[in-house]
Amino acid sequence: MKQKKETLVGYAFLAPALIIFLALVVFPICMSIYLSFTKWNFLSGWSGISWIGFDNFKRLFTRDRSFKVALINTFVYAVTIVPPTVFLALLLAHAFNGNIFCKRYFRFAFFVPYISNMVALGSIFQFLFRMDGPINGLLKAVFHLADSEIPNWLADNSLCRVPVICVMIYSGLGYCLLIYIAAIKDISKDLYEAAAIDGATSARQFFSITVPLISPTTFYLLIVRMISVFQIFAAVNIINSTGKAGGNVSLVLLVYNEAFLNYNFGYASAEAWVLVAIILVVTAIQMWGQKKWVNY
Amino acid sequence: MKNKKTTAFKIIWTVFFLLLSVIFFMPLLWMLSSSLKTSPQVFEIPFRWFTDRLHWENYKEIWTSVEFPFLRLYKNSIFISVISVAGQIIISSMAAYAFAIVDFKGRNVLFILFLITMMIPAQVLLIPRYVLFRSIGIYNTLWSIILPHFFNISSIFLFRQFYLTFPKELLEAAKIDGAGHFLIWSRVLLPLTRNVMISLAVLCFINTWNEYLNPLVFLANQKLFTVPLGIRWYTTNTARDYNLMLAAASSAIIPVVIFYAVAQDYFEEGITKSGIKG
Repeated sequence: MKQKKETLVGYAFLAPALIIFLALVVFPICMSIYLSFTKWNFLSGWSGISWIGFDNFKRLFTRDRSFKVALINTFVYAVTIVPPTVFLALLLAHAFNGNIFCKRYFRFAFFVPYISNMVALGSIFQFLFRMDGPINGLLKAVFHLADSEIPNWLADNSLCRVPVICVMIYSGLGYCLLIYIAAIKDISKDLYEAAAIDGATSARQFFSITVPLISPTTFYLLIVRMISVFQIFAAVNIINSTGKAGGNVSLVLLVYNEAFLNYNFGYASAEAWVLVAIILVVTAIQMWGQKKWVNY
Repeated sequence: MKNKKTTAFKIIWTVFFLLLSVIFFMPLLWMLSSSLKTSPQVFEIPFRWFTDRLHWENYKEIWTSVEFPFLRLYKNSIFISVISVAGQIIISSMAAYAFAIVDFKGRNVLFILFLITMMIPAQVLLIPRYVLFRSIGIYNTLWSIILPHFFNISSIFLFRQFYLTFPKELLEAAKIDGAGHFLIWSRVLLPLTRNVMISLAVLCFINTWNEYLNPLVFLANQKLFTVPLGIRWYTTNTARDYNLMLAAASSAIIPVVIFYAVAQDYFEEGITKSGIKG
């Protein structure tokens, strides 16, 4: 009797979350799986859905060129954005720990880009990288480039990834720094003091104390940042809004374009599930690697 | 002697970080400076931080423009963010209470199910939610942005962690005194986890405020547009007026930065404890 009442109370407390969960998470997941095996243009109405098995996926991996570009970009972004961000943050965090004044201000300063709107940052970076923008102005002044030599960042098919990479590093650095600072605080001060007495330089302390003891955090940050880089959308969407190049497209951008510009919901769902597969693989590596590679 | 040397080092490092932070602020400072110029001045070479005067009329124009007044964008964004935060905090803490304190059938299965779905990126849900929202009439209303925020597994998880550390004896004592679960939740646990709630609220607010993809998909009526959609509009539609576009970007970023400066401790606690948001 009492147990029954507890169960009732439990579900009462859970009800609001559970209803939203079922309606806006579980149901969409199931529907999305189903749609990825169908051909459905939303504009043709419910009757337009037709089951086509694995055809969407076959087409994705054999005939779709822009999907191939997006897939390559996903890895290009992961490699060019995540390790530099995390490593830079680690260096900064180590120096930060070596006692500086106004720590509060610096934590603030580096974190501001992270909470700034990505759409706004994207607009700023799009301008910075214009043909006649400040970045090229700087390049011209420093390297004395002729007008014909300056790079056209936004219109070139491979260079157009650079603004995206820059804005992502810029916005992600503060987050990694903050997590590192919190983690380094937990490393015993005695270790650094003992090392200093033994004559270890700051660089030596960095490689022999900070890096190994902080490795769980590094691992966590690599994975978390990678997953968020896989989901790049706003930066690319805004930086591309005036450019003519398409070489920097991300998977999410393709999903968006396919679904909400062309209304091919079936094909777009298939694209989305490829993204899921990639994220799941990385998550699996995280779970497995946590035990293996990390020094506790 | 030793102390003097450490102080000198500290000063050197501080100066180094100061320079670095200035470089880091450069794009934002450039944004501010250019948002107060006329359109031709933005492209002027050589670059000047200050021109003839500060052109505040750029801000006046975008805040009161007929087509896309920031005032309206702000109203929409604030409405969405406030309701989303309130809903997420209350609903998450109730769910966490059930998972941490109440002993009911199916508890673990449900909790694991919640955690598993956490790995599915939100973009997958976009298309089915669009179909669903269109068929129940939520599409193209602010609720299509608000409702998804009411379920947030990270918030539930974090609340649960805190509720689990709550001493069992106190709960027993409260029960013996005749308090039901609702009273214990609302009168004992909620006040005790005030700081966690504020941290989560701050994070949820920022996430909602900066959200881009959902509003882009679910809102078609320009009257309902949020701040990020407004910046997008100024970026793509006023192609030559970069000063206006940058005034729009500044209008979106500055309030958030001030908010962060005021609530820094809560932010940092929330972020280091939960790592919410990717």
